[in-house]
Amino acid sequence: MTTSLIVFDTVAELLAPLVGDLDLLDLEITPDSTFHEELGLQSIDLVTFAGILAEHFGPDVNLAEHLAQKDLDEVIELTVGAIATFVSDRLAQRG
Amino acid sequence: MSQEPVAIVGMGVLLPGAANTGQYWQNIITGTDAITDVPAARWDPSFHGTTGTAPDQTHGRRGGFVSDTVDFDPLGFGIPPTDVDGMEPDQLAALATAVAAIEDAGGFDRLGDRSKVGVILGRGGYLSPGLLRFDQRVRTVRQITRTVQELVPSAGPEVLDRLRTALLEPLGEFRAQTAIGLVPNLAASRIANRLDLFGPAYTVDAACASSLVAVDQAISELIRRRCDVVLAGGVHHTHDDTLWSMFTQIGALSPSQRISPLSKDADGLLIGEGTAIVMLKRLDDARANGDRVYAVLRGSGTSSDGKGASLLSPSVAGQVLALQRAWSAADLDPTSIGLLEAHGTATKAGDAAELATLTEVFGPADDGPRPVIGSVKSMIGHTLPTAGIAGLVKVALALHHRTLPPTLHCEDPNPLVETTRFRTISAAEDWETDWPRRAAVNAFGFGGVNAHVVLEEADHAPKRRVQVHEPERILRIAAQTGDELLDLLDRPRTTEGSGRFRIGIVGPTESTLALARRVAAKVVAEGKPWRGAKDIWCTTEPLLQATDAKTAFLFPGLEGDSTPNCADVARQFGRPAPHWSTETLLDHAESVTHVGMLLNDALDRLGITPGALAGHSVGEWTAMQVAGMYDSGPAKDLVDRYWPDGFTVPNTEFLVLGCSPDIAEPLYSGLNVVLSHDNAPQQTIACGTPDAIQQLAETCRGAGVIARTLPFRSGFHTPFLTPHLKPFASLIQDLDFHPGQLPVWSATTVAPYPTDPQAIRDLYLTHLVRKVRFRELIKTLYDDSFRVFVQVGAGQLGSFVSDTLQEAEHLVIGAASGFRSGLSQLRRVATALWVEGAQPQFDVLEPRTVRLNTSNALLSLPANARGLLEPMVDLPAGVSDEIVAEFTALLAETRRSAASVIAAYAGNRTAETTVEVSLTAMPYLRDHRFFRQRDGWPDESDYWPVVPATALVDIACRQVEKAWPGTVAIGIQDATFARWLLAEPATTVKVAMNREDGQVRVDLGSYAQMTVKIAPSYPVAPPAPVITATETQPPHTAAEIYTYREMFHGPAYRGLAVLHGIGRNHIRGRLVVPPAPGALLDNVGQLLGCWMLANETDNLLAFPRGIKRVTWYAPEPEPGVEVECVAEIRAEPDLLEMTAHLIQDGQVLARVDSWRDVRFPCDRSAHRVYTYPDRNRLSTMHPDGTASVTDRWPSLAAREFYAGVYLNRAERTAYATCPPREQRGWLLRRIAIKDAVRALIGEPIYPAELHVHDDEKNVSGLQGRTLPPLSITVTSDSNSAHALATPLGSPA
Repeated sequence: MTTSLIVFDTVAELLAPLVGDLDLLDLEITPDSTFHEELGLQSIDLVTFAGILAEHFGPDVNLAEHLAQKDLDEVIELTVGAIATFVSDRLAQRG
Repeated sequence: MSQEPVAIVGMGVLLPGAANTGQYWQNIITGTDAITDVPAARWDPSFHGTTGTAPDQTHGRRGGFVSDTVDFDPLGFGIPPTDVDGMEPDQLAALATAVAAIEDAGGFDRLGDRSKVGVILGRGGYLSPGLLRFDQRVRTVRQITRTVQELVPSAGPEVLDRLRTALLEPLGEFRAQTAIGLVPNLAASRIANRLDLFGPAYTVDAACASSLVAVDQAISELIRRRCDVVLAGGVHHTHDDTLWSMFTQIGALSPSQRISPLSKDADGLLIGEGTAIVMLKRLDDARANGDRVYAVLRGSGTSSDGKGASLLSPSVAGQVLALQRAWSAADLDPTSIGLLEAHGTATKAGDAAELATLTEVFGPADDGPRPVIGSVKSMIGHTLPTAGIAGLVKVALALHHRTLPPTLHCEDPNPLVETTRFRTISAAEDWETDWPRRAAVNAFGFGGVNAHVVLEEADHAPKRRVQVHEPERILRIAAQTGDELLDLLDRPRTTEGSGRFRIGIVGPTESTLALARRVAAKVVAEGKPWRGAKDIWCTTEPLLQATDAKTAFLFPGLEGDSTPNCADVARQFGRPAPHWSTETLLDHAESVTHVGMLLNDALDRLGITPGALAGHSVGEWTAMQVAGMYDSGPAKDLVDRYWPDGFTVPNTEFLVLGCSPDIAEPLYSGLNVVLSHDNAPQQTIACGTPDAIQQLAETCRGAGVIARTLPFRSGFHTPFLTPHLKPFASLIQDLDFHPGQLPVWSATTVAPYPTDPQAIRDLYLTHLVRKVRFRELIKTLYDDSFRVFVQVGAGQLGSFVSDTLQEAEHLVIGAASGFRSGLSQLRRVATALWVEGAQPQFDVLEPRTVRLNTSNALLSLPANARGLLEPMVDLPAGVSDEIVAEFTALLAETRRSAASVIAAYAGNRTAETTVEVSLTAMPYLRDHRFFRQRDGWPDESDYWPVVPATALVDIACRQVEKAWPGTVAIGIQDATFARWLLAEPATTVKVAMNREDGQVRVDLGSYAQMTVKIAPSYPVAPPAPVITATETQPPHTAAEIYTYREMFHGPAYRGLAVLHGIGRNHIRGRLVVPPAPGALLDNVGQLLGCWMLANETDNLLAFPRGIKRVTWYAPEPEPGVEVECVAEIRAEPDLLEMTAHLIQDGQVLARVDSWRDVRFPCDRSAHRVYTYPDRNRLSTMHPDGTASVTDRWPSLAAREFYAGVYLNRAERTAYATCPPREQRGWLLRRIAIKDAVRALIGEPIYPAELHVHDDEKNVSGLQGRTLPPLSITVTSDSNSAHALATPLGSPA
């Protein structure tokens, strides 16, 4: 399970508009950035983001299915890196 | 077997240089020397820094002193300001520090079962400031007068009496409860008392080992399971001269005035003071409870020296015993130690004995790794009973931060250190070691009592954000132009400026200020507001400055989220902390409601008021209760009554779907599932049988729709609940519904609630079985000009609003947060709303501080009493004895004749004094403002802060007691109240007292007069009255009386706790003595008001005019005490007459005879104008917009009242100078004009915001209220006036 840097960068790029003006905020999305606490996103934003991911990478990158296996605390502490890893794994499964 | 481990889960300190643990640790690792010179206020040049060897001198001039100002609100814990000054400072310090420790542990809920929470504090029996001041009062003054009498025999009783009075004056008023407060164990007991703890609470005295012995006892209480939580520590706030003298006399006080433990140069100690308290739990419990564990106490040991040494010089053998006992209890190898906090008194004998002990227990120096030794005494001095716990907190922080802390002034260590395995360090080091890190603390006391505690690091600590103790600063700037805004931001000041270009920053730091400049530049350039990221809000178009723009309060329903933080909010506003429980569905709903009501109250105090309320799901119940539509009482009672067989809900689950209803519908078609909540475009909740929900969840996942089940079941808002509705139906049939004080919007109908009680009941039930249309509700509110949405609770509700409104300009912000303290979050709410044009009262969020009265100064005479004996003793030297004797006799004779002349003239029968009546002298009168004004209204006089009649009674009684010390005012009679006494502008009131035996006639200026009855003691109480008349439930609960402004009183006067019942001629209630002087009797008057508002429909204005008699049978109880009150009432159209009994613990406490209120014409609708003047009018409106008002006040006093509602300061002045015969018409015209203008503008406006010019043709807005150009016409006849306001330019 490795995350290619390209995938992470793409995920971060897709996420950026949800977070706000990164340059202005002087904020960098890193693999350790947490959705809720650091990026200030709400769970409803995850819904938006799931849609963005599926649109960009294809419907098999199904964040909904992935999150269903996690309990609430894990979802709250979710990091951008973890999502990027999930996306990488899905892309890898395409073979 | 090793001792059961105990966890430190919370810590609080008040130590020299450190008001909290964060600061303490910073000081420790940065090597901050908190030793200072004796502060000026405590410095006595005849004692400190002197060279003599007698006990009344000391060379000492430096020590460790804590700040006298502590961030703590005693009133929040039921301690009124009047009690604080005479209190032992260590009791306040201990209470404040205990609260800090509990909050550090995560709050009061972490205490668990209060019956098993103990308090054990080390405290020395030294001469403490409170005791010293009491001794001065009891003995020193007597001693001085006796000595003066012996020195100057001619000084007769009068002179001595004047001397005595003058000496006592600086000591202030004495109250009996002050004396009770001087009992030494109260340092611990007061904590148990104020925090409602039922475990043992006591102090232990083992000299300098006291607080570690307290920890040892705490461990034992925990291990024996007699307690589940113990607050353990030490208190010492006693820099008494006797203590300094004692250490000087035994040669222990450092000659160099530097304390350097373990150093070669150590020459003695410096004295410190302070308090530190840790919250302890058994480690297993702490782990099970998810507590953050700073460190684990593995073992503790105590011992005495036996006959081994003298009382002052320590015995190595005794110390060794304590250390060995502790390590053996821990069942650990002493050589595994990494850090030792030495007792380190810095005396030659003390350090030598301690180092010898260490060699014996931990072995001599070898080639192995060298653990670190140090002592925090080098930084804060020797805090005596607190010393052990100060060291323990230091070590726990060191383990927590994995850092080895330095010791000061030890560059050249005592050679004996080299013989031990230990080393000293002068700068902090990372604590690198193989796990686990271990440490220990020594504390050894005079007389040979020793204690030692072994600590170990906690294996892992759950992440917790660092608590911010300093209240965050708020920077607010408003400007007329973008350039001005940017310019002001470059050199931020505290002034806020004015204009629509606004920025607000919470907790500005260098970096956020830099960001704020970039944000402001962007906002100004692009015009797109910035709302909340990085705690910055910035706009060029404040939302609330737009016409009609309104604020809505949204009350959350049940969510799966964490507990909202609001205990600090409750404390700040003197409210009980809401209990939070999600155990049952109704508990959960009740918890959400309590939090909502608390926050609503806080927002109200902040001056943030909504135009409408709404709720999500059961949040609607909160909204209805806040609006006063009903009061259901405690959930437990409801369950007992309506669900005797238990509260049951359908066996269904909720599934939260990350999509709109349109997308959701095809997913669940064919399943036993319905849509229960349409929350937002991206959130829908479905409800169905567990199987169907399971199936739907899987379908969703396949379809890429996020789906999660909620952690609770209710079946609410679906037809599944229909079979369970019956108990709800009977419940609401019994509830008394009223129209809301504010519009409450229903998410079932997406419209405001109806006003008819039966229609409300119908909707209440429909709400339970129909879906929540929250998305539509938000859209509709937006269409109705709601632009600001405050989520009154924690959770995700706000994100539904943003998701629904998307780019449409709005502000949504939560009034509580799960991860920020409640007050911090409210700071953000206030800042965000200010940026949007609201005018919040930021000052209500300021921390409450209290001053510790540590004064132990010698008595000093007030200036006017100096030289009292001069004529008797001030003779030139060399005068012969005979002449002195003759002269003295002559003077004595002259003085006697003069005295008899004065006695004949006035005796001691009259006295006169003055009382300053102002908001500075009587800040609590801000809670007794007669009129309402717009939030943040700057002119205090427009509020009419009025001194209540009962406060006048209190002033009279207290002044009489002061004028004739030793007497008790047992009551008053024939009191009449002639005029309003207002605190703004400030006034000085002359108090003239004329005594005739046991009665003192008191005139309070021209405002009131009465006779105060004085006696040496209270009379015997009569039996309590028995009421047999029938009674009904009062229409409002006690709390609602204030919420709905039936009574205008603020917190300092809010004593109505329960209204038991109301009858045709009586009312019964329970009062909790409020803090303001005279407020208890004022509450009796409030009961009278409640009775009137419930029973009468007109003449609803009533003011106390006189009281025949008040008799006290016992001293007025302290604030917070519960008192029952029975008032029997007789009503006439123009008069209310009441006889009332106050009953405490079944005994009559006081009796009030014939309290008379005069009544003035005022029906319900006029009363509404008084309670909500911004949105009600006295005038009748005609279809063409004409406002007509008719004189309804036959008396001047009543007219004055309505003038108060309608006029601002300038107008009142003009009114007062108006010829009497023209006043009526003048006032009527202003009322009509203001009503016409207010009706035309159509938004809530307080009459005082409008200024009617003398020409009666122009009206302007005051204090930021803007009006369009208007044309005004007004006419008046003998008893009515008619006004029409039209916008200029439109046809009249």
